[in-house]
Amino acid sequence: MDKNKIFLFDPLKQREYSYESFFDRLNNVESLPLFIYTDDIFEIFVLITASVLYKKNIVLLDNDFKESELGQLGLNDDSLLKRETVVFNKRVDENNFIDSVQESKDWRITLYTSGTTGQPKKITHSLKSISRMVKISDKKKNDVWGFAYNPTHIAGLQVFFQALFNLDTIINLFGPSSGEILSLIDEYNITNISATPTFYRMLVPGNRKFNSIKRITSGGENFNLALFQRMSEIFPNARILNVYASTEAGSLFASDCDTFSIKEEDAENVKIVEGELLIHKSMLGISDSFELEGDWYKTNDMVELLPDRNLQFKFVGRKNEMINVGGYKVNPGEVEEIINNHPGVIVSRVYGRKNSVLGNVLIADVTVGNQGVIEKDLKRYLQEYLQPFKVPRIINLVDAIEVTRTGKLKRV
Amino acid sequence: MPQKIEILRVIINQVLENNSKEKISSLQSSTNLRDEIGLDSFDLAELTIRIEMKFGIDVFESGIVLTVGEILNKLDNGNG
Repeated sequence: MDKNKIFLFDPLKQREYSYESFFDRLNNVESLPLFIYTDDIFEIFVLITASVLYKKNIVLLDNDFKESELGQLGLNDDSLLKRETVVFNKRVDENNFIDSVQESKDWRITLYTSGTTGQPKKITHSLKSISRMVKISDKKKNDVWGFAYNPTHIAGLQVFFQALFNLDTIINLFGPSSGEILSLIDEYNITNISATPTFYRMLVPGNRKFNSIKRITSGGENFNLALFQRMSEIFPNARILNVYASTEAGSLFASDCDTFSIKEEDAENVKIVEGELLIHKSMLGISDSFELEGDWYKTNDMVELLPDRNLQFKFVGRKNEMINVGGYKVNPGEVEEIINNHPGVIVSRVYGRKNSVLGNVLIADVTVGNQGVIEKDLKRYLQEYLQPFKVPRIINLVDAIEVTRTGKLKRV
Repeated sequence: MPQKIEILRVIINQVLENNSKEKISSLQSSTNLRDEIGLDSFDLAELTIRIEMKFGIDVFESGIVLTVGEILNKLDNGNG
């Protein structure tokens, strides 16, 4: 390996870190914190990797957790400052690194779900469960990863381990603007990106195409044919893969577009009850806060089994996100999908606003690419494709739509 | 500032136009929202939210409202 091979470029700090400097840091660690709580992505990667090598369990915290949230988790400044001295009995380099990492079978990492439904939930994973989908091969040694997830969340960890185990270059794209991201893809010849559909929708490439990208992975939210087609145009050489993963279970299923296949060997561990996907506890990480029904974990994900096809399903929406409008249940994701299909729209968010007449009224916030689109046109367009009760009654044209710490649409 | 009834007419027309219904040219206190203007419950819900966005008052909060005059009353009372 080239000594100067880049391990990480962090555009927020405008800093490149070589693999040499990364290994150097790993070999000179004297103590490790029990909690990772920083916004420095290099530091996060160093500490996670060091905790594996030194076989010390570690807890990942979102850097933007507020004091009150930390309090809910039973943490205070003292606990965050705790460190443990470590002694390392060998030096790692590019040749022994992977073997050294894989020795750490008992290593555990704990992280928190983003807590969109109340208090963050604690989940503990082993190296095996977190790297279930990681593939190591010579062909992947020259991959350059666009890193588009929060590094303290499970999807970010999975991408990190995929890149790290192949000693790939990582370019941090979690944070920069659409324009900066596109420049970085060109500048570093990024070959792989893994991100949420919202991340991809927010890229506005004009008519540019990006030939260096050979693999696009999408996950965390509903992916559809229209986005698939748009991605194929922007990234003409990319294979596009859609992954179903959760903080609770890690990555479980993959698909070429929006249809997921359940592997034969997993078939016994998956079932669908009243439209909801249930996963057997043997597929999960460890947590006190799982609410199991018997041996089954209710994912809260509504799916649709495809008729006449064995073990294939489509993701429909989140059970707890359904909005009751005058007695009708509306899936905001379905409405967003139609809005996003409008040629003038970049991204949209649909939510319910409490209302004394209907219980909830549907509202859409929409960002548009040019100034020509107005509320009335969008409504006409939606009325063509949706039943009347699914058409948002108020459409706000906004400058930006918030995303969560995980890079998903922020639900109101 | 235009009279409340005129602002209300603009808001009602916005709701009508957005939902491909015929706009109205004049509005009286006695005008019935459902029977005369032709607003259905979804339109009324949209109307209440648009009024709320403009005046900060949910005119349907304390019960069904049938006429333009009743909306204006709630707005006047709400404003103290």
